[in-house]
Formats: sequence, C-alpha cells, structure tokens
Amino acid sequence: MNAIANLANLTDERLLIEAAQHDPGRFAELYESNFHRVYAFVARRTADREEAQDVTAEVFHQALRNIGRFQWRGVPFAAWLLRIAANTLADRWQRAARNVEVPSEGPMEDLAAAGVTDTEVERRTMLFQLVDRLPADQRLVIMRRFVDQRSVRDIAQELGRSEGAIKQLQFRALETLRSQARNHHE
Amino acid sequence: MNNFSVYDELDQAIDQMLAAPANASAVRDSSDRESNVDELLDLASDLRHLPRNNFKMRLKLELEWAAAGRTVSAADTDAQTQLAREAKPVAAGGQILTNLFGKSWSGYPVRRVNFVASVAMHAVMLLLMGAGLVMVKSIVPRVEPQLGVSSRLEPYIAPIGIHESHGGGSGGANDKPRASVGAAPPAAREQLTPPVVLRNNQQPRLTAEATVIAPPDLNVVRARQIGDPLSDIAALSNGPGVGGGIGGRAGDGVDGGEGPGRGNNKGAGCCDGIYPFGNGVSMPRAIYAPEPEFSDEARKSKYQGEVTLLATIGADGRPKNLTVVRSLGMGLDEKALETVRTWRFDPAKKDGHPVAVQMNIIVNFHLF
Repeated sequence: MNAIANLANLTDERLLIEAAQHDPGRFAELYESNFHRVYAFVARRTADREEAQDVTAEVFHQALRNIGRFQWRGVPFAAWLLRIAANTLADRWQRAARNVEVPSEGPMEDLAAAGVTDTEVERRTMLFQLVDRLPADQRLVIMRRFVDQRSVRDIAQELGRSEGAIKQLQFRALETLRSQARNHHE
Repeated sequence: MNNFSVYDELDQAIDQMLAAPANASAVRDSSDRESNVDELLDLASDLRHLPRNNFKMRLKLELEWAAAGRTVSAADTDAQTQLAREAKPVAAGGQILTNLFGKSWSGYPVRRVNFVASVAMHAVMLLLMGAGLVMVKSIVPRVEPQLGVSSRLEPYIAPIGIHESHGGGSGGANDKPRASVGAAPPAAREQLTPPVVLRNNQQPRLTAEATVIAPPDLNVVRARQIGDPLSDIAALSNGPGVGGGIGGRAGDGVDGGEGPGRGNNKGAGCCDGIYPFGNGVSMPRAIYAPEPEFSDEARKSKYQGEVTLLATIGADGRPKNLTVVRSLGMGLDEKALETVRTWRFDPAKKDGHPVAVQMNIIVNFHLF
C-alpha cells in the first residue's frame, strides 16, 4: 500500500511541477509541500536561525528561477531542492573560508548525496509540520518559548494568564507533538 | 509526583537547555528526571530550530511576487530581513501603519513606490470629489421658494365720461346775480390777474391777461367776453363769490369750485389739476422706491399676485391720493400702500416744468 501511495504522490508532484513550469504562480503549491523539509535540512547545517532562514529563502528563489529547467526523472522534487540547498550552503562556506580558516571536513561530506536526508532532518521536518497544526494557544506558547526564547513569566504577562497556566500549555503542547509524532510513525 | 511538579520540572529543564544550548544533550540525559519529561525535552531541543513566526508566509508571498514578475527591492528585502531578526511581538496598536513606512515584515513584501502611488491616486480622487461637490453645490437651484417683489409704473388713462372734472375755480365780487355766461379765460401756469367780467379799475397801470391756472394746452374757445361757460345768466356779473374770480365761491378761478383754476372742485388747473400724458408730458421717474414686503399671512400661504395702485405723482415728486385699484388681499394691499407712500419721484415735466400726473403703480408679489 505504501508503494502505491508513494507512486500516487509522485504522480501528483509531477503534475504540480509541470503546472509550475507552465505557470510560475503554481510554484506556491510545491513550496508549501517542501518548505519544512528544506528548512529542516538547512537548519541542521547552519549556525543559527537567521542564517537558516536566509538560505532557505535563497533556495526557493533559485528553484523558482530554474523550475523551467527541471527534468522529471522519477526522483522527488525535494531531492532537487535539497541539492540546491547543499550547493548554496557550500557556496556560503566557501566564501566564508576565504576570510576564516575552516576545517575542510564538515557537514559537506554528506551533502554530495543531497536528496537523501538523515533521520534527524526527517524528524524535524515532521515536528515543524506538526507545530503548525497545534491549537492556537499551545502554538503561541511554543513559538514564544522556543523561537523568541522568552521566559514563562514574560509569556504569562503578555497573555494575561498565570505562570502555571503557561507551563501547563507548554507541557500539553509537547505532549501533543509527541503523540502526533508517534501516530505519524505508526 | 503531581502534575504541577511535572510542569515545573519540564520548564526548569527547558530553561537550562535554552540558557546553554551546547549542553542540551547533557540536560536531556539527566537521570534525575522521569522518562516522560526526557522525551518531551528531546522534542523541545528540536523546537529550538523552528523558523520564526510568519517566515514561511513571508517567503511564500515573496515567491508569489517573483512568480508574477514583480521584484521586491533589495532594500525592502534587507529591511524585512532586519526586521525579521529584530522581530518581537508588538501589541496591537503598538505601531501605526507599519506597512506604510515599509517596516512590516509579516505581511506582503513592501514596495514603497506603491504606497506613494496609492496616496497620490487617493489625493487626486479626493480632489475630484471635492471639486464635483463644489460644482454641484454652485449649480443646483435652491428648492426653497424665494419671495420677491417687483413693481412697475404705468401711465393712468382716465376713461372718458367716467371722471368728472375735479379742478377748482370760482370767485366773484360779491355781486347779487350769479356769474354771467362767457368763454373760459385762457389757461396759464401762473395767475397774475384773476378773470373778471366787470372790472372795477378800468385803467390799471399794469395790465396782464386774466388767466386761470390750468394746463396751457387746454383748448379754450377764445371769445371777447369771458365768464362762466356753464352759466345761463346773460347780464354781466362776477358772481356772488369772493376772491376776485368769476363764480359763486371763493378764489380766483372760474366755475363753481374754489381756487385759481377752473372747475367745480378745489385747486389750480383744469379738471383735477392733473396733467394728462401726451402733448409733451413726460413720465415721472421713481428715485426712491423700496420694495414692499410680503405679509406673514401671504408668505405662509405662498400667495402671490399683483396689487395695482392709483396714485397722483405731484409736482413735488410725492405720491398722493393712493387708492387700491386692484386688490390682492392677505395684507398685501396694505403692505403695498404703506411702502409706496414713502416713494419719491422725479416728477413728470411739461415744457421743463414739474407737473402732477396720475400713475398706476403695479406691485408684483411673486415666488421664485
């Protein structure tokens, strides 16, 4: 059944790619389905969130510019995007190497096989997608706590709730994410 | 362990992990915690790499713009990136029109030139709307009816046979018999010598033609003997009146009236002392003629029409003997009379001399 489902997904993706090649306005659908994967891949290999966001944006802009040259070979579109991401990161590191001595070995080693992502990237991709589906209050607490890195006290003041309530929301959000991640794997 | 302690324990662990990211694994692997909390900490560790809120949406919009062939300027992108880095939650209303000043990064990519164009277009539209309102206001007639009064003068033509002569003239020398018959004396504007049938002084030192005050162009039959044309007494007599004329009453005139004129009433002139139009008698001209006001009753009833007044415009330019010839009612007649009495005229003239005439004064009360 999984093979059939994957085949159907690939067919759908191919149609989306062809649509985007004829009308770049349709690229948004490819973007939606691949954003978290590309971001997780990039974030795994960058120092901070801001750099990860910059690289992610660059990857998708390049993909949009070059979507016409994409040739379907039965490989997921994400593989093409991750190859662009790997090249972009490599370019950045090379530019940085001109100014700062960096070790020749590093995350680049596994980028040659872009399109084949490690389990950590897969886990984060799924996790980031699940965050988007959290209830609004739980999602807000997660974003404030882990993205903005604010204290529970600050969040409680902002939302006009007790610290205990914020801690509870934080706990429930993480439990929800864990539960949905397990379901996703099963 | 109750739930509150689990919440606190998890929160403390997260605090440690966020404070020292390098030691996150050590925090996660602490053996002092429940396994449940450890699993949640694993998730929390990955959540540290979440993209910022709205980054996904902003990038999508940028791509949509790029796909549509519209480029977002580098300055805008840099500003948005900077804002993304500085992004902190802002309470609603904390900033005003951030998009207008190109400082928003959470919505559409900002192109300031679009704001300028939008403001310019709105300004032009407002100007056009304002100009339109002014134009409409200036050309739309007022719906509310306006009151107006106008007046005009028309010469009065006395119907033949209806009005009798109103001139006055009489006199006499206190004789017993009535005045003898004879032709009327000639008319003149001034009377130097009253007409008499029998003269007491047969040899006056200064002689002047006996006249009555009447329009000079009054046609009279020239005859050798003057007297009262209406008398049937042949014997010469000045009449039983007094004052030196011919007749039975007082004055220097002729006939049964009083005064230096001729006729059965009082005063100078022929008939009623009023010059008829024509034969060189000019029209009087109003030099002070305020318009009458509407009466309250007529204004409320929106009543309109014309009031015709008959007036004698004296040689002194004042209207006299005002009478209403055609009435309108609702207090408008009184308003017309009241106002026309105050009018002043440049009187009618005959041979350059002011003379009295009769005029119709038509006052038109109307609604616009």
